[in-house]
Amino acid sequence: MTDLDVRKKELAKEFLPMLLKSTKWSKIWTGVLVGFILWGLIALVLQIINGHGVTGMRDNVVWGIYIINFIFFVCLSYSGAFISGVLHFFNTPWKNSVSRIIEIVTVVSLIIGPVFILLCIGRLDRLHYLFLYPRIQSPITWDVIAIITDLIGCFIYLYLTFIPDFAILRDNSIGAPRWRKKLYKFLAIGYYDTPKQRKRLHSITRIMSAMIIALAIVAYTVLAWIFSLTLQPGWNSTIFAPYFIVAGLYSGVGVIIIIMYLIRKYLKLEHYIRKVHFIGAGVILLVISLLFGYFTFSEYFARWFSHKTTDANLLDTLFNTYFWEFIFANYIGVLVPIVILFFKRFRTIKSITFAAVIAVLGLWLNRYLIVVPTLETPYIPIQDTRPEFIHYSATWIEWALSFAGIAAFVLFFMLLIRLVPIIPMSGIINYEREKKKNSKPLAQQQLP
Amino acid sequence: MKDDKTTPSGTNRRKFLKMGLLSGATTVAGASLLANLASEEELKASGEKIRVLTADGKMVEVDAESINKYPEAHITPEESRMGIPGRKFVMVIDLAKCKNARNCVESCQKAHQLDHNEEFLKIHLIQDHEEADPYWFPKPCYHCDEPPCVTVCPTGATFKRDDGIVLVDNDRCIGCKFCITSCPYSARQFNWSHKPKFDDTSQPYSPETSVPGTEGTVTKCVFCPDMLRQGKLPHCVTACPMGVIYFGDKNEDMVTNGEETVRFSELINDRGGYRHLEHLGTKPSVYYLPPVNRQFPLERGFDVDEDIIERYRDVPFVQDLKEQGKI
Amino acid sequence: MKRHLLIYSIYLLCGLFLTINVLAQEPNLRDYRMRFRFKTVKLHDNSRILEAHFIAANKKDRKDRVPIYDASIAFYNVFEDGEVLLGTANTSKEGFAQITLPESHRYRVDSDGKINLKAVFSGTDGLDGKEREISIRDLYLDLDLVQVDSINTVLVSAYTLDSLGAESPLAEETDIIIAIEGMLSKMVLDEGTIEEGKYEFEMPTDLPGDMDGNITVYSTIEDHDEFGDVIQKKTEKWGVVDNHVKEETNHLWSEAAPIWMYVVLSIFLVGIWANFLYTAINLFLIKKEGKQLELETEK
Repeated sequence: MTDLDVRKKELAKEFLPMLLKSTKWSKIWTGVLVGFILWGLIALVLQIINGHGVTGMRDNVVWGIYIINFIFFVCLSYSGAFISGVLHFFNTPWKNSVSRIIEIVTVVSLIIGPVFILLCIGRLDRLHYLFLYPRIQSPITWDVIAIITDLIGCFIYLYLTFIPDFAILRDNSIGAPRWRKKLYKFLAIGYYDTPKQRKRLHSITRIMSAMIIALAIVAYTVLAWIFSLTLQPGWNSTIFAPYFIVAGLYSGVGVIIIIMYLIRKYLKLEHYIRKVHFIGAGVILLVISLLFGYFTFSEYFARWFSHKTTDANLLDTLFNTYFWEFIFANYIGVLVPIVILFFKRFRTIKSITFAAVIAVLGLWLNRYLIVVPTLETPYIPIQDTRPEFIHYSATWIEWALSFAGIAAFVLFFMLLIRLVPIIPMSGIINYEREKKKNSKPLAQQQLP
Repeated sequence: MKDDKTTPSGTNRRKFLKMGLLSGATTVAGASLLANLASEEELKASGEKIRVLTADGKMVEVDAESINKYPEAHITPEESRMGIPGRKFVMVIDLAKCKNARNCVESCQKAHQLDHNEEFLKIHLIQDHEEADPYWFPKPCYHCDEPPCVTVCPTGATFKRDDGIVLVDNDRCIGCKFCITSCPYSARQFNWSHKPKFDDTSQPYSPETSVPGTEGTVTKCVFCPDMLRQGKLPHCVTACPMGVIYFGDKNEDMVTNGEETVRFSELINDRGGYRHLEHLGTKPSVYYLPPVNRQFPLERGFDVDEDIIERYRDVPFVQDLKEQGKI
Repeated sequence: MKRHLLIYSIYLLCGLFLTINVLAQEPNLRDYRMRFRFKTVKLHDNSRILEAHFIAANKKDRKDRVPIYDASIAFYNVFEDGEVLLGTANTSKEGFAQITLPESHRYRVDSDGKINLKAVFSGTDGLDGKEREISIRDLYLDLDLVQVDSINTVLVSAYTLDSLGAESPLAEETDIIIAIEGMLSKMVLDEGTIEEGKYEFEMPTDLPGDMDGNITVYSTIEDHDEFGDVIQKKTEKWGVVDNHVKEETNHLWSEAAPIWMYVVLSIFLVGIWANFLYTAINLFLIKKEGKQLELETEK
């Protein structure tokens, strides 16, 4: 046991400075992010005062980049939950380096995402009507239930994975301010890593990880149904639910790779986040990009081949008005990551990150192309409407709020990794313990 | 039926109006069939102000009889969910007669206090296929029997009543716009910003008129149940100079365009009545009679303001006409 | 005349600056022809409406019709030795002036047994006086809805009363309209001619009628030179009673959802929240064990 305590102390010593010290760069970054958020808040105030007229949304395209950001962030969260659940449930050996990143992504994006759907709502003052007069036939109701349940589930799950680290920090945070010690003591809820406690925590974490996977799938599906249960030509598709799962995972893995890269670079964690992790994540991204490309192709190919009038009109819009967006989202955004990740010699940390950036941008545009052109190409072609109501282009208000959302995401992320180490210390200890246990038989096997 | 002639006292009349039992024949309105029709026509021709000649021979403008007020019966949002008992309202639009005169659009805008650019009822220019000539296609809300908009509403702000009418309660609507995206006919509009007219409280809000509007909520064609309760036709029906739009109670099997009254079933069966995009399964309450033996050349529909013609600029047919210099 | 000339020249001057459109909104009364119409409608309860319609119609623009508002119209019963004022009414915004005379009203008739009615607008400085006289006979319409050989039949008989009160069937052929009442309008079923005071019409058998299956039949003589308008109506339960009331079921669009949706949603939620609860309980147990441990170490 003393061995273990020493190791814990070591780890705490290693990670505590990251939690306590703020560098010049982190200060500048925080300032920039807060600036973006303030800019978004100004936009928000303007939108609340002047109504939705300040956005680019109009009678035909009633949902704009807000809902695209909503899908993007919420899918990010679901994919985080999904991946994290899988890593935990199957006890993947290299999960330590990335699991905390994924968990934080999950929770933070699930806080940011729903804010964007709130921005789409005309009467925020009546939001409680959702609970006062609920109609369970409405996919919106399902989505509200799914997001709330998922949010609570993710919070519990995240907390479960934090507890052992809080306990280590409580016992070893020498030189930390008093409030921090008190906070760790409170959050650690008397966890002392006794075998009994460890077993109990392990078992509920395991059940929760399975539950999180199921919740993510349900929530993904419900989100996709908001579109696919309508009759709109571009949305009414049976493959939308799995398509959204794959697309969500695509963006999720992409964002995780980007964050891994940034953390490795700025927190100097090259020892923990190694090339092998990037290659592992890169291979997963490759598999998902193939799947994503396959789904995208199936979706559009069927429309093109059977060319119902309304589908043909939609494709016409996509290939004319949105030509470059379509090329970037569905060709470059899929093929470039595939090419980079397919060939072994292209798989460097930088190129994998580059592929991830392309994937994430392409996917955001893919979402844009699902939402906006469809609304611009309804069953009865748009006519007898004032010209400014026909096409959608986002206003600075919408962009300001979108960037504020991204800034808030990054800021929350930075704040959370100042609370707990980005590499779970308890995970390292567990990993080493398992290794010790397994190394004996392994060594015996190797001897003869 | 003996006491038909005696006008019920105030409260009774109010009750009658609410029940929607006050049909054309029961009271004052039934005094003279001809007079009634003529007065409707006069109202339509004028709008909010009407021109009259005083006995002294002076031409003056006076307020028209309030087109859309409830002097006696205000239907609250709660009451408007009930519907007029025993009715099932349908509309039949005769495409052969429409020439984009736009009186329906304008009278609807006046009655529901819509701006020049807001319309519950739009006139589309539709071409079924390359060989067919385009035709004018008035498109109100279809008040579907399987309304996707009502299905997806998370708060029950939009609802379908027993008489088939689909309404929006602006006091309940949270403005999520899901109903707008789920309507395959693009029949719904959104109040994007506040407008001074929303503050006009001279008329209490009723979903049956959707007046006054509310910022951040959805609105649409209502089939004018306020008029129906008075035994009168929706504004678009009476406004149409061509008698394009028939309206009536399917349970009675009668529809009228204000001039002639015909059996709904006969009209539909004898003249090939159909519903637009039937395959979507929404079961609209609005039927169309195909544009056969058209009464007007299509070009008559371009006899409108320049800005209205601009609204059809994306239609290939209109682009052709412009190239030929016909518009 | 000079004043008119002056006005005319002013208009002409204005015309140089303003568009024709504006000129049209400042109309000259000389462009209008005054139309004064007078008619009478006898209702089903034998009361009678006298109605004058007073409008100005533009000679050039057929669509431009302006009602004369608030003009006092006097209605008279005219007979050989003089006339009796029946009542006065002012025209509405639509140009209608109307009075209703009850069934009990005794009209003075001329030697032919005709009622002479007159509507008079006595004229003002701006408008010339108008007067219109009509001469009608008081026609009675009897409407019977009977089953003849189990066929629903509308029987109309038209007659006049002589001075002694004896009925004499209408001798001349007169057009009649059979219509049924709807919520928003009347639907004409048949247009025919009364011969020898009688008219018979076989009702269609597939009319739904109102909610209770009642059908109200109207027989109307419209705009007749000798009788004016005469309307009679009667109601009979001849409708094909179709039970309009649908069985209340749970639809996607109704207030209450299909039952299975509640069931599935409940199962989902109960399952998930049970797990949340289970987790919370275990966390509590961990805390309890921690507390015990702390106490032990303190000891």
